[in-house]
Amino acid sequence: MASVPSKHYTDDISLLVVTLDTNPFFWSTFSFHFSEFLSQVLAFLNSILLLGQLNQVVVIATGCNSCSYVYDSSSDRNHASTNGTMPAIYSNLLHNLDEFVAKDQQLTTAHKPGTVPSSLLSGALSMALCYIQRAFRAGPMHPQPRILCLHGSTDGPEQYVAIMNAIFSAQRSSVPVDSCYIGSNNSAFLQQASYITGGIYYRPPQLDGLFQYLSTVFATDLHSREYLRLPKSLGVDFRASCFCHKQTIDMGYVCSVCLSIFCEHHDKCSTCSSVFGQTQSDVASADSRKRKAS
Amino acid sequence: MPEVRIIAKNFMDMVASMPAMKLDKLYENAFICEAILRSLPPLAKKYVLQLLHIDGPVSAKLLAEWVLPDGLSKHKVAVDRLVQLRVFVEALDSGTLPRESMPSNITVRLPTLEDLETYALAQWECFLLHLISPSHVDKTLNISSSLMKVFQRRLLSQRDREAPKLTESGFQFLLMDTNAQLWYIIREYISNSEERGVDAGDLISFMLELSFHVIGERNIIKDLADLGLVKLQQGRKESWFIPTKLATNLSVSMTESSSRKEGFIVVETNFRVYAYSTSKLHCEILRLFSRVEYQLPNLIVGAITKESLYNAFENGITADQIVSFFRQNAHPRVAQRIPAVPENVTDQIRLWESDLNRVEMTEAYYYDEFPSRDVFEGACDCAREWNGLLWEDSKKMHLVVKSEVHPYVRDFLRRQK
Repeated sequence: MASVPSKHYTDDISLLVVTLDTNPFFWSTFSFHFSEFLSQVLAFLNSILLLGQLNQVVVIATGCNSCSYVYDSSSDRNHASTNGTMPAIYSNLLHNLDEFVAKDQQLTTAHKPGTVPSSLLSGALSMALCYIQRAFRAGPMHPQPRILCLHGSTDGPEQYVAIMNAIFSAQRSSVPVDSCYIGSNNSAFLQQASYITGGIYYRPPQLDGLFQYLSTVFATDLHSREYLRLPKSLGVDFRASCFCHKQTIDMGYVCSVCLSIFCEHHDKCSTCSSVFGQTQSDVASADSRKRKAS
Repeated sequence: MPEVRIIAKNFMDMVASMPAMKLDKLYENAFICEAILRSLPPLAKKYVLQLLHIDGPVSAKLLAEWVLPDGLSKHKVAVDRLVQLRVFVEALDSGTLPRESMPSNITVRLPTLEDLETYALAQWECFLLHLISPSHVDKTLNISSSLMKVFQRRLLSQRDREAPKLTESGFQFLLMDTNAQLWYIIREYISNSEERGVDAGDLISFMLELSFHVIGERNIIKDLADLGLVKLQQGRKESWFIPTKLATNLSVSMTESSSRKEGFIVVETNFRVYAYSTSKLHCEILRLFSRVEYQLPNLIVGAITKESLYNAFENGITADQIVSFFRQNAHPRVAQRIPAVPENVTDQIRLWESDLNRVEMTEAYYYDEFPSRDVFEGACDCAREWNGLLWEDSKKMHLVVKSEVHPYVRDFLRRQK
């Protein structure tokens, strides 16, 4: 799997879509407080907007059951009202975030005790890509889009297929996915996402200086990336999840027809219903028989 | 003519060339800091953001380590710019809003963005028309005639008892994009401000603030309203003004805005020009170098002919300017094509221009009736030594030398006597 060939960017006007991990189960067990995290991220978003009049920032909150747009710098609502004490960007975003977290909580279903449910990264990525597609279609003069995933919760293997699909669609439309992973172990999904789409994967070693990491690494527009030394990933965890039990596996069975992955032997592929376990000649004759019949 | 180009290049050059004292004073204003930050090259912006919260000095070597080998030249440009603007000596600190912004409860009465934009463009076009042909305009502007004269100073030449005529730079001015034109005018306005008793520094900081949003001085505002930079809104008790897109673009760097304008011109391979525009100004501009054939409510159709182009060349417009005008204003449909202007048309325009330049004039001196062949050959050698021999006829002993070499050849001949 080769990473995307670098595209040439002539200006530095960027559309930054940020997916924000709001998973309450993760944050309650994490040493770094969410409010501190948020204040650093807000400062970062503000500085992105400061860098250029035409820069655009969209924030998507990622809960564990749903995701939602919480902020869009291009919508008029965010410019109009300033209530004196707080700039519009903060008050609007915080308000939407509150609403979102409350709604997300209502959807919460019981989970196995002792495990931390993962965030809906696949949904957030899909929403980000949808937004970017809309920007692409708005005309030839759209800003350069990129996605930044600010995540901390562990990967949910059950989302493997959806996430991979999102990653490949990002690759096709040459949208880099940057990931800033703050959890304790590396995220295989985000590593792969950044590797395949040509984005940056970085795990800040110290969260106190999160803003400095964000502004140093992730504020770099696509134009400047051609000239700057940025963190390179040392190794990417390419392990896949099986389609049958949604487990991350090192070795498994792959359907020769549709490339679905299974952790144990099956008689029939659950995705494309090809029958396994027959000899090569049988399959060939079955095929020719089918062709004759049709 | 070159001065127009230099001015059009970038406003920030002007800020950068200000004396350190004045520059430091400008930085006291948060808006100026923001405007300058936005005008920086992408890498420079990045550096500023990255270094913003670092208190101690950072060595240039460390800075250079951030860059890939390919980007070194860009890095140098960025750092030079930052040093020039004294950003790398001065810290960007944020001040408070110096002026009162509009209370949010009256926002209902605000014009929509589209209204504001059409207003701005209409006002700007009216101003341009006024500038180039005062007699043609029905709408009146209240810019004082002396101020108008200042603007026209370089663009129009007035001979006695004749209608004012556009100068070479005037024609070039018309072909620049709106932003560049705006900067030319604003620059004239600023450089003239001292005569009108307004401090240039104050004016600049006010203009830059405008790119964000503010309320302020009366007279300047009225002038700016005539340029279409702001729209005056009359309230019952007070009045507000609303900055338009033209004003907000002031702080945007040139490349950004010019690439983001919808064009309207389609040039076809048969030398026809279709301009989807209702503007009188566009028609006037097209008339500069093409024969306008007919004009429909939203379409101007013209043809590029040899005569029309010769006319333009005589006025000092160059082929490159015409081609780049077509390119910059290409209709979105054709703008995606490469090239946006058919090659045969651009080639022909350039060929016609070079037609005019076939004969090159050089001032020269003509010598004949040399007393002897030796003297003639000596004079030839002398002229050759000074690299000024244009033509010689050794049979009839005639010689033509460049006029700058004439004194040396004359001295040589005198010595021969």
